[in-house]
Amino acid sequence: MSGRGGRRTMSFSVEAVGITRGESLPPSIQQPTPVYPVMEQKPLPLSGGEEAEYLLALKQEFRGAMRSLPHYIHPAEQRGDVERYSDKYHSSEQSDSDWSPDWKLFPKELRAKKPSRGVSVAGPLQTDRQTGEKKKKMEKEEVLLTLETLQKKEDQQSSEEEEEEGEEKKKKKKQEEEEAEPEEEYDEEEFEEETDYIMSYFDNGEEFGGDSDENVDEAVY
Amino acid sequence: MTAQEVRLCGLLLQEHFGEMVEKVGTHLLKSGAQNLRMILHETGISLDLLKKSLCVLVQHGACVFSSGRKGPGSPTEYRTSCDRILRILRYPRYIYTAKTLYGDTGELIIEELLQRGHMTMSSTVKTVADRLTQNMEDGRSMDYNDVSNSFSNLVETHFLQRCPPPPRAGPKESVTPAPHPVPGTPTPPISTALPTAESFPDCYKVPHVTLTGRGKRPLSSEDVDDQRNAKKAKMDSETHGDEGICWQVNFERFHLHFRDQAIISAVANKLDQTSSEIVRTMLRMSEVTTSPSATCTKPLSANEIFRSLPTNYNITRPILDQYLTLLVDDPMEFVGKAGESGGGMYVVNMHRALANLARATLESVVQERFGSRSARIFRLLLRKRHLEQKQVEDFAMIPAKEAKDMLYSLLSQNLVQLQEVPKTPDYAPSRTFYLYTVNQLPTARMLLQNCYKTVANLIERRLYESKESKRLLEKSQRIEAILASLQASGAEPEQLTEVEEMITAPEKQQLDALRLHINKLDSAENQVDETIFLIESYVNSTKTTS
Repeated sequence: MSGRGGRRTMSFSVEAVGITRGESLPPSIQQPTPVYPVMEQKPLPLSGGEEAEYLLALKQEFRGAMRSLPHYIHPAEQRGDVERYSDKYHSSEQSDSDWSPDWKLFPKELRAKKPSRGVSVAGPLQTDRQTGEKKKKMEKEEVLLTLETLQKKEDQQSSEEEEEEGEEKKKKKKQEEEEAEPEEEYDEEEFEEETDYIMSYFDNGEEFGGDSDENVDEAVY
Repeated sequence: MTAQEVRLCGLLLQEHFGEMVEKVGTHLLKSGAQNLRMILHETGISLDLLKKSLCVLVQHGACVFSSGRKGPGSPTEYRTSCDRILRILRYPRYIYTAKTLYGDTGELIIEELLQRGHMTMSSTVKTVADRLTQNMEDGRSMDYNDVSNSFSNLVETHFLQRCPPPPRAGPKESVTPAPHPVPGTPTPPISTALPTAESFPDCYKVPHVTLTGRGKRPLSSEDVDDQRNAKKAKMDSETHGDEGICWQVNFERFHLHFRDQAIISAVANKLDQTSSEIVRTMLRMSEVTTSPSATCTKPLSANEIFRSLPTNYNITRPILDQYLTLLVDDPMEFVGKAGESGGGMYVVNMHRALANLARATLESVVQERFGSRSARIFRLLLRKRHLEQKQVEDFAMIPAKEAKDMLYSLLSQNLVQLQEVPKTPDYAPSRTFYLYTVNQLPTARMLLQNCYKTVANLIERRLYESKESKRLLEKSQRIEAILASLQASGAEPEQLTEVEEMITAPEKQQLDALRLHINKLDSAENQVDETIFLIESYVNSTKTTS
């Protein structure tokens, strides 16, 4: 508003807006208004009632359910600054039913392609593959996976299977957590040459049988 | 897309789909239609994650793709719109409505479809039957037929619709012009209008699906698992005759339902239960004959209304006439008279009803924020359109000084505007009228943006609270998991109490307080969403008429 900083003359006529001569104008504001100003009127309480509670329950359940669906893309987790020994043997979380959409409704370029086996693909995919050791592990993982594939071939249609596998492989290569365990646990216990411990060594205590005394060895985070 | 909308969409995407999808979604919102390479370049996410995120967005209808602008050969472009993502706020309301209309089966069908974006009918029926069977007592299971019937009912009343077919890019136009959105044009290389579900002629046709069986209860013993796997193999290899036909929830139909509910409850509050029943009957009769964006329903004669009234209200003909006259005379103008034939032709004025509801919302906002006297000034200005300072004081019967203060605070919040009416062409201040006025539509839009900001703040605060107490929440979750596994394996009560005591009393208090806060914030979001719905409907109704 022009003239506010100047003398008492203002660009609009004072009477028209209702400021009579004797009154003082409210003090001009020198800084931005406070972030949480004091409210003269308190807001009304929330409407309660059965419907509101049911809606609330629905909302929270929905959110929880969405987190567990394959649509929720978990960020690649960083386990601290140091690579832990147990990282290699923690099972990566398999999302329930790797989701393979009906590709007819999707543009072609969004189809996940199968990566060529064993050949390192240059590009942003490779941020996780740093050492040659890991590459070797990937190949072994692929061997294990082919075993799985052959096993599972009867159960699923072959094309869907390949899509899923392709997606599964991608997921595993991306995340820092180690390969998915095949269903049979004996594979890891017998074939992994770098550990002498059974797999339950790496559990973080979620299924413990109730005696808190035995937790001394395991690190519970 | 305003900044507030984008922020809110980002938070909703983050909560429901993860941070990757949020990044991709907000980028698309801010930059409009883009093709894959550009998104890749600008966001810097890996190609794989990007593809996955886009798949998730397309699956849930948040993102649409079309062939590029430069012609059929150019890469597909992806585009997101705020509206679809903001619907996520309203999901609980949709599910609850389905429950009230179609029972538990309908509720679960809608919930599954909302969670998955779109699904075929057979997979929906199977999943829902399984879920229902889980909750039933042992030995009983849900038949697929019942679920299919509910599904068909939902489709018949248009609550569910088929997904539109993907737009065909390139030289395929000659092959199938039927699913194409632009009818009659033989070679449309670029479709400027994306196909909506409604433009597909079969969008409400239930396919013939062969689906027999009952829901399966998840069994816990291991050897039955193998049996299930074998059975599963057999099941999956059957085709049910509806491959490729995906269904999605029809939000517009739900919105029409909500709008009708709002009008009926407004009439019930203002007048009485009987008049609301009459209005409900009128709306029900015009459900199929009125288009969604119509200003008012088709005229209904009093005779027709009388015949369709529910019988338990015992409304005689003369009483009905009296009620109708009352409704027509009411200043809220919900019902209007359109003629005299057939005992009087009556219409329900949709747009006017929405405008009045929005006005009532604005008035109540001013009342709660500024006090009842400011609300009186606000209502006065709404009614009288333009008033001078002096006139405001006189009509509102408020002393001059206070009226002035209130007007200025309303003005500073932009709820009231100042209009200059010059007497002379040079706009000299001493010779100009300064009139206060309220413009309903811009004020409503501003309030809508405030609502979006409110919900975004609520979500952020909830995330902050959960993050603060993350350690405590994780600990309590672990304890619960341990308790559950203990109980399942049959432990003694002493062990249970010992585990329960691992949470100390102050921690328990903290947990309770945290839960209370989070519940409050959540239900506040639900409540703000109701306001958002009203104001959005009002704003959209003005768009179609103008």
